[in-house]
Amino acid sequence: MTAIVDCNNFYCSCERVFRPDLLHKPVAVLSNNDGCIISRSDEASKLGVGMAVPYFQVRHILDRNNIAVFSSNYHLYGDMSWRVMETLRILSGGREEGRTRVEVYSVDEAFIDLSHIPENDLEEYARHIKTTVEQWTGISVSIGIAPTRTLAKMANRLAKKNKQLSGCIKLLLTTDQQRMALQQTRVDDLWGVGRAYAGKLINWGITSAWELSNMPEEWAHRNMGGVVGVRLIRELRGLASIVMEEELVEKKMIATTRMFGRPVTALNELKEAVATYISRAAEKLRRQQSAAKVVSVFLVSKEQDHLADFKRGAPISNYTTLPNPTSLTHELIKSAVTLVETLFEQGKTYKKAGVMLSGLVPDASIQGNLFVPGAKNEHRFLMHTVDNINFSMRDDSVKFGAAGTNKNWKMRQELRSGRYSTRWEDLQHVR
Amino acid sequence: MELEQFLGMSYKGSKRFTQQEIPTANATGFGAAADDYMERGIDLNEQLIRNKPATFFMRVSGDTMTGAGIFNGDVVIVDRSAKAVSGKVIIAVLNGEMLIRRLEKSFNKIRLVPETPHLSAIDVDLSGAEFSIWGVVTYVIHSL
Repeated sequence: MTAIVDCNNFYCSCERVFRPDLLHKPVAVLSNNDGCIISRSDEASKLGVGMAVPYFQVRHILDRNNIAVFSSNYHLYGDMSWRVMETLRILSGGREEGRTRVEVYSVDEAFIDLSHIPENDLEEYARHIKTTVEQWTGISVSIGIAPTRTLAKMANRLAKKNKQLSGCIKLLLTTDQQRMALQQTRVDDLWGVGRAYAGKLINWGITSAWELSNMPEEWAHRNMGGVVGVRLIRELRGLASIVMEEELVEKKMIATTRMFGRPVTALNELKEAVATYISRAAEKLRRQQSAAKVVSVFLVSKEQDHLADFKRGAPISNYTTLPNPTSLTHELIKSAVTLVETLFEQGKTYKKAGVMLSGLVPDASIQGNLFVPGAKNEHRFLMHTVDNINFSMRDDSVKFGAAGTNKNWKMRQELRSGRYSTRWEDLQHVR
Repeated sequence: MELEQFLGMSYKGSKRFTQQEIPTANATGFGAAADDYMERGIDLNEQLIRNKPATFFMRVSGDTMTGAGIFNGDVVIVDRSAKAVSGKVIIAVLNGEMLIRRLEKSFNKIRLVPETPHLSAIDVDLSGAEFSIWGVVTYVIHSL
């Protein structure tokens, strides 16, 4: 059997750990740049705060009901996520030869391989996981257990639908339990079925997961994207077809993308923004000891047509291939800034920019290379020092001049809470 | 490898290795001797944190616990996985407020006791109040 452990309203729960006064009160968390609602407590969704809706659209509901609203605090969520995942790893037997039974699926979800637990003990085990995670981290979770990942996801969804009844735990162990669950689940609520496929299926008259699971495999192969479709059908029938992946440690590409806090029209401001994103991406690059061969930059402008003022223009992008792979910030900035110049159009208003480093190779020369001029090794030493200072002092204490000194275009984060669990100066106060 | 060593073996003094083969041996000979006793040094995380994912830091504001050696501005280490038995200093949540107090638990009563003569103990009304225990204070960091 396999389990999925999913944190309930994760970002809101993180905020509540340090704000116990908000327990049982409506809470909402906004996306980067305070754009949309990305997490809301059950109380808030009951008041009509939808998921992923723009902030300004529900602002009247938030204000009228005195809903606690937070800007996203990724330092806090990241640390709390690590705590939840680490607790799961400890509970499921820790690391054996560097591997665990836990596969982190997203910031707030993880699959756990339960093949070593007797079926009779699974419910007890799930309760133990749930209470321990809550006790240790303060985050409440829902758990779905089934023979396959797709069914476990389905179980989890059903557990969340009626938390009081399920106690946030749902097991689908027998074929009867699985059939009932399949009958209760619509195809568009299935894990791995996108909106396009769900629409197609419903057009064909297949509305429930149960009906889908009874379709022949050849049919799925023909109509649902070949192997992927067959795998889905098998998963629904209880045959595990999506297996544990080893954790992806090294990224194949590194991107940094942000919305601007306000529209940007000046070339030098765009260059500053892109230089800042490059610095961030280069830091990540060095952390995994890679060097990049390709630098891409993209800009997104507001459409010039005033009738469609809210519509975004298509992103325009350009890339350049470097003569030698590098992890040095100033080399990367240089090519990125040149790219911005080729993309920039006078008179356009930009609302978003991003950079991507790809063609990653191991930065072999990190150890110093006899054939590289000495100056280059000094640069590497400089990078190392900059990273160290920024890591211990936080927030770009040392940065390149190209990244600018006053960031007018920087993200809006007006309602961010303290970084309670990671910063000495932000610790929660107790009286 | 072994065969090579065997074939290439020549007299190397009374020992079967040279100084170059021992990376830590240096001219004084002290390096090699001291290296056996090398330790990692004192790691405060290791000493003060028993269960990392469950451990948080908090800052004390106020003089409610001076009698326990916890002063205004001190940082306390809080372990959420430790058992809150009677007599422990805890972080309590009472009606939405986070308080640091000593826990006094008897079979049907919970009291939150401050360690200062200026404040009185709180008898927790278990039927009416919203009460929970956030974590157990395990250490205090006090700057001198």
